[in-house]
Amino acid sequence: MSLVRDIMTIAAVSAGAFFFLAGTVGLLRFPDTLTRLHALTKADNLGLGLIVVGLLPQAGSLRDGLKLVSIWLLVMLAGATVSQLIARNARQDETAK
Amino acid sequence: MTAGIMAGRWWLSAASRAAWFSCLWLVLAGADIGDIPAATAAVVAATWTSLRLLEPSTSRRSLRAILQLVFFFLVHSIVAGADVARRALDPRLPLRPGFVAYPTRLPRGLRRNVFTTLTSLLPGTVPTGERDGQLFYHCLDIEQPVLAELAAEEAALVRALYNE
Repeated sequence: MSLVRDIMTIAAVSAGAFFFLAGTVGLLRFPDTLTRLHALTKADNLGLGLIVVGLLPQAGSLRDGLKLVSIWLLVMLAGATVSQLIARNARQDETAK
Repeated sequence: MTAGIMAGRWWLSAASRAAWFSCLWLVLAGADIGDIPAATAAVVAATWTSLRLLEPSTSRRSLRAILQLVFFFLVHSIVAGADVARRALDPRLPLRPGFVAYPTRLPRGLRRNVFTTLTSLLPGTVPTGERDGQLFYHCLDIEQPVLAELAAEEAALVRALYNE
């Protein structure tokens, strides 16, 4: 039983790490602020989600599990809100040029 | 609606939100007698802020439509992450960035903000502000059917939360 849990964890956390890596590659390679925002918000959101899913089988208690899920939801909310503010500023800078 | 029913509904809303914030505190910080003053202050501040910013709603909410929206959202998050990862790792860097204007039917304010927050996690779109009732989205690839996807998302959101 614990072997199955460990395999799930390794698979999901590795996939999560892959998306974080891809998001970072995008951040470095994409040409401007707005395209970089896509890379960060989308790839990192999925990466964090997969890492949370991977860690859930290892959570010692219900509270630990809920805490992991809350962290994911709060990061998503913060990311979705802040990315819009950055995007709004970046577009205004672009049109002002 | 009479003032009495309105006040009753307001208190019900305040109590249920305070209960949710208390649960969130317990999950994040744990249960400790010494934390009670800080927890009380945080729950009161959070409840007050939420009632100021988000008035108790009167629209009917359908649980089934909400679950459908959550499901769409999860599927879209996976598609969005995979799409960005593919473009970032492709040696040719396939991007056709540009803006599209999406004419939304949602009223200004809370509903439109919920919509832009949801769609900021859709594949290939980042909302960048609004003008004259149109939302401006920045797209990684303007050849994708972005407008149709946004319209589908708006319909799903209205079904889930704003079905009046």
